[in-house]
Amino acid sequence: MSVLSYRGVGVAYPDAPPVLAEMDLEVSDGEILLLVGSSGAGKSTVLRCANGLVPHASGGRFSGDVVVGGRSTRQSRPRDLADVVGFVHQDPESQFVVDHVEADVAFVLENLGTDPAVMRRRVEEALDALGIAHLRDRSPATLSGGEQQRVAIAGALAAAPAVLVLDEPTSELDPQGAEDVLSAIARLNADLGTTILIAEHRLERAGVMADRAAILRRRNGGPARLDAVGPPATTLVDYDGAPTVTHLGALLGWDPLPLTVRAARAHVTNEPPLSRSEATDPPVAGERLCSATALEVARGGHTVVRVDRFELAEGEVVALLGRNGSGKSTLLQALAGLLPAERGRVRRETRISYVPQDPGTMLFRPTVRAELRETLRLLGREDDATDPAIDHWLGTLGLGDLAGRHPRTLSSGERQRAAIAAVGVGGATVLLLDEPTRGMDAESRTALEHAIRGHAGAGGAVVLATHDVELAARVATRAVVLGDGDVVAAGPAREVLAGSLFAPQTLRVLPPFLTVDEVATALARRRR
Amino acid sequence: MTSPAPLGDTALVEARASLHAVTWLVWAVAAAVTVQLAPNPAYVAVIVGIAALVVEVHGRDSAIARAFPAFVALGASFAIIRVVLTALTTHGVGSAVFTLPEAALPRLLGGFTVGGSVELPVVLQSAAEGFAIVGLVAVFGAFNAVVSHYELVQSSPRSFYEMGLAVTVALAFTPSTIAAVTATGLADRARTGGVAVRRGRVLRRALPVLESGMERAVALSESMDSRGFARLEPSRFEHVAAWCSLGALLAFGGAFVALVGRAGRAGTAFGVAGVVLLAIAITAASRATSRTRYRARRPRRLDWFVMGVSCAAPLTVAILAAVGDESLRWSATPLRWPTVNAGVVVATALLALPAALRPARAVTARPVVVARRPLQEPAR
Repeated sequence: MSVLSYRGVGVAYPDAPPVLAEMDLEVSDGEILLLVGSSGAGKSTVLRCANGLVPHASGGRFSGDVVVGGRSTRQSRPRDLADVVGFVHQDPESQFVVDHVEADVAFVLENLGTDPAVMRRRVEEALDALGIAHLRDRSPATLSGGEQQRVAIAGALAAAPAVLVLDEPTSELDPQGAEDVLSAIARLNADLGTTILIAEHRLERAGVMADRAAILRRRNGGPARLDAVGPPATTLVDYDGAPTVTHLGALLGWDPLPLTVRAARAHVTNEPPLSRSEATDPPVAGERLCSATALEVARGGHTVVRVDRFELAEGEVVALLGRNGSGKSTLLQALAGLLPAERGRVRRETRISYVPQDPGTMLFRPTVRAELRETLRLLGREDDATDPAIDHWLGTLGLGDLAGRHPRTLSSGERQRAAIAAVGVGGATVLLLDEPTRGMDAESRTALEHAIRGHAGAGGAVVLATHDVELAARVATRAVVLGDGDVVAAGPAREVLAGSLFAPQTLRVLPPFLTVDEVATALARRRR
Repeated sequence: MTSPAPLGDTALVEARASLHAVTWLVWAVAAAVTVQLAPNPAYVAVIVGIAALVVEVHGRDSAIARAFPAFVALGASFAIIRVVLTALTTHGVGSAVFTLPEAALPRLLGGFTVGGSVELPVVLQSAAEGFAIVGLVAVFGAFNAVVSHYELVQSSPRSFYEMGLAVTVALAFTPSTIAAVTATGLADRARTGGVAVRRGRVLRRALPVLESGMERAVALSESMDSRGFARLEPSRFEHVAAWCSLGALLAFGGAFVALVGRAGRAGTAFGVAGVVLLAIAITAASRATSRTRYRARRPRRLDWFVMGVSCAAPLTVAILAAVGDESLRWSATPLRWPTVNAGVVVATALLALPAALRPARAVTARPVVVARRPLQEPAR
């Protein structure tokens, strides 16, 4: 039985070409339907149609019909559908109304005019279903991202909706928070039979829990279409953003293609495809650009980072790993001179620029190109409107087509790239990137990797604070793991990552290879 | 993952629930009135101490609760500025401590003398008055730290709901806005890789905060929309309420005009009409909404007890004032130590009753039960 159905849906926002055309989709009762697609492919549009945010809140032209719980979104506004559709946004912070978890969860029920006795029970159940009963009296602002997102889901679930719609609920979260949120969602579906429509990019996790997956693609600027709808194992395999093991499987011709490390290892135990000696090592580093000795950095009166020795040389890409709060950002800011060192000192042989975690804190000009020019203007190179550096950075980060867009209208991955370009154009030799892949799709990630390699190859150096071990495996020459402000492990990326429980997927399937590209190179060499 | 809370847990919370928002309102008003009635620094010191104690015991887990010291500091700096200004402009009361060069302001600016002799009684008197202001600010800060603003909104007449909700949303937005200001400053410095550019800095730092704020406001309004806010169609009562509110506004405007024109009788008539229309508007609007309230609480016996005891403090002080207690107000001329009447101290100490109550779990600053799950490191 279908709870939510899209019939011939087409959407065009005001003054823009159509985003969606003639889309048909049925979401059946009790299933998890996973929606994937690169950023800008129209995932949010599809989801926002489900409770009428499109067209009621967005405006624009809307054709076709969306029927949810027997009601058409043409006649019903989002607020009228609050009892049938629970909607959870991407940004966990901006969806709280009340500075109190329990009262915020009850907000929807108060609006629906639910009987107080029923309301009391529903709130308790929603808190338990998401495992957040212990947070009931906290202020949402003091919670971690994963906890905030679970509170938001509880706030949608309290109304016992027929379908729960989640728009990339984990894209702003660290791996632990994302894991908590996704397992909570899986449990809601398994235990309570809640129907779920979710857009998500952590496919190694979401792909396994979903019943069906749908891929949304836009070709040549035309409207988005649903390319494939079916079981994740068969649908996701030819998708760019598929997990690393899937790409590895495709390279080695495995059948069926794996979605998880476990499935991939089943193939390897049969016949090890490559010998261990065939892995290559990254090039050696050049001259020293920056060094820190016996560095201690404090924040709010507490010493947050203690580093005995940290050096950075030409051509190096250092991945800084560690959980939230382990001091990654603090170390980067101290290296950039944005935070004073309590003890020890940082020697900078060259200019070092830091790109903050949230690009929204930096971008304010009307276009991406103007952002780059703004940096040059601040550096006193005002007349250089045609500075070749601008086009160079727009080009390496794949922003050429987006140069005329307003930064606020970009997707989060594109925005992140715009921020990196705006800092990079200043010409600093060392770039410090803080969580650059948060909310990035496969395409943005590839462009970023390209830019990082290019910058290091041209005599610069890059330090990335990241949770993304796959990114670290692909670009890093060296890795440093921080834990509670101390360096827990440091050394060549291969050694550090190989010894980790959270090693990149390729390494867990085919050690000592770090990436699919390395495997491909080794294969090619053997064939020769 | 957390195991579901055992059923008994809920009952426990109910039994030890926090004091009602209205109770805290009454407590705060009582404390403020006490400060007004007994501005003797000794008594004000007792009330400031009580306010700090109440925050310590009942402070909630919110940004505004942690801002209590900032409130007190704000009050203190205001008082200090006031002392300096008074000392520089008031002369001829007592002996000079030291003398500063003086300047007479032109007649247009009031014509008084700035500088000159700084006199001890003047300094002490204005310091004492300033301290009473610190007392009031401390009470206000303590009230904000312990009260659930949302419960206060829910307890107010329903026609004020939307307005009150706007205030609670603003309170919920404050911490992240402060964080955004810091982050934007950092991003601005980071952008140039250490080259400081002063020109246009305010704009560069303000714009991203404003734009992010706009984005979040839109997201929040969509979130509220998705959660059924304002879903019920306006009823007949709401139309009545709207027209009556408009009428009340016009009537009050008329009364103001009449009073300016010294037409006293017409002014009174307009004023009475305005009050009547406003009362009708509030009642009608309260009937109109079919929202329900989650865990709507009535003040319990304990609440009534706290309210009664709190009100006893200013009442006792008022009686003592009527009898002619000399110690309530302190004057620096002739110069002497503030006298203290044990009766007033006891009356003031009644306000400390909430601090003696065991705090409910609902208001502890650091929830105890969190330990069920390994604590996440706070983001640094």
